[in-house]
Amino acid sequence: MLEPIAIQQRAAPLPPRIPREAITSLLVMAAIWQLLSYVAPAIGIPQLAFPDFTKIGASLLHITLADVGLTLLRVLVALVVSFVLGIAFAVMFYLSKTADRYLTPVVRLLMAVPVISWILFAILWFRSVEFRILFVLVITCAPIFLVDALDSMHSTSKELRDMMKSFRPTGWQFFTKLMLPASMPSIITSWKINLSLAIRVVTIAELVGAVTGIGHQLAVAQELFSVADVFAWTLVLVIALFVFEGLLSRFETHVLRWRQ
Amino acid sequence: MTTSIAVDVSNLSKSFRQTTSGQNVTAIGRLDFKIADGEIVAIVGQTGCGKSTFFDIMIGLDHPTEGMISIGGKTPYGDFDHFRGRIATVFQQDRLLPWRSCLENVKLPLELLGIPEKEQRARSLEWLERLGLSKFVDAYPHELSGGMRQRAAIARAFVLKPKILLADEAFGHLDEVTAAELRETFVKLARECGSTALLITHQLEEAITVGDRILVFARPARLLADIRVSDWPETEHGRLREAIQQTLQGQAPLFRPLAAE
Repeated sequence: MLEPIAIQQRAAPLPPRIPREAITSLLVMAAIWQLLSYVAPAIGIPQLAFPDFTKIGASLLHITLADVGLTLLRVLVALVVSFVLGIAFAVMFYLSKTADRYLTPVVRLLMAVPVISWILFAILWFRSVEFRILFVLVITCAPIFLVDALDSMHSTSKELRDMMKSFRPTGWQFFTKLMLPASMPSIITSWKINLSLAIRVVTIAELVGAVTGIGHQLAVAQELFSVADVFAWTLVLVIALFVFEGLLSRFETHVLRWRQ
Repeated sequence: MTTSIAVDVSNLSKSFRQTTSGQNVTAIGRLDFKIADGEIVAIVGQTGCGKSTFFDIMIGLDHPTEGMISIGGKTPYGDFDHFRGRIATVFQQDRLLPWRSCLENVKLPLELLGIPEKEQRARSLEWLERLGLSKFVDAYPHELSGGMRQRAAIARAFVLKPKILLADEAFGHLDEVTAAELRETFVKLARECGSTALLITHQLEEAITVGDRILVFARPARLLADIRVSDWPETEHGRLREAIQQTLQGQAPLFRPLAAE
């Protein structure tokens, strides 16, 4: 009998909506901050520690888009390089048990090294500021892409692998038509994790070793004791992260539309 | 009448070392039989009789320890790439790719062969229509019933018009009505395509309904009996089923054993 279980109407995905609860809690936090800015001097906290939103607004007007763009560009380039390297190594480890056995401990070791150590190594090893930042971001993010993609490849069901092999695909077809789509949920999760990680790491890297970007501007704000500027630059970073996450969620909804 | 041999299984055996106990286990004892071009052959045997191991060797995913399977003078495991587009399989579960629509799943083997997109689409739509799925070409597997998914899997196999068609317990998990319907469709299409078909099943009724011949496997796999179904009038099918059952239970085989013991 030709009875489908459920053929649902597949409408175009709706743009992600910000839940009312999230807006409420953010507004409450802003109100607490504003209140603190009023009462801080009365309870012995310096006024500059909690600037009110007028001052923060003024700082936001002085945000330099070139610095924001540069930081975000560094993040995106590093994530693309990390993704390509991570997937390439994952495929190599999947194909070669020897490579997997010898190199997986190295990857685990890389993952255990604190980010600040990588930043110091980068400063000591490389002269180019851009390369230092790229190095730190890639060495932090690529192993996550690698490990997640490899796990996902190993967990692709034997049934599907045997079915695919029975049709005798080339190696390239086997990966592009089976392994890559099967790993897609895991790859998207890695992108989400790495996106938030990279935005935090790039700030520290720029804070220590660069003369441009949001991290550098945060360092300048700290030298000037301007909490309003620190708040404004941080706000820009957080908003950028939310925007990227929103775009990623839309991509996820589109690519994984086959899920129940 | 002379018929050409499509599949020649000669002195085939397979053993492997069990990872837990380290002991050598024989999955296939010694198999010898031939299948003529265009024949539909059902293989029956008890659980653990090596049917699935035989199936894996037939589709080229495993190698025999000794002996060989020859299809048109070539072995499916040794001359792996030669059989691109020539062997197709219907598995016990549909094994459709969940991220592909019904149409995209059926197109898959044609994509792997590098057939132009327009032809892929036309051929896939034709087979989906023949399998009664033309209204569901854009549906994802999870949106279809078990029977419909298996129909899509059958379309995916037939879209190649394969020389050799293999089915491993392909209808066993479906309800009786759907299974009977699909069995009938499968046989009809296999005959139309002139494919040589091997069906592995544990259901004797299915073997008798579908097969021109029935091969009865002992455990480990060796040939207990080779039965031509047309030798048994339809009124005798009940007795035939009983006799196969007795043979499987180790009682004196009722049929001439063809395997060289």
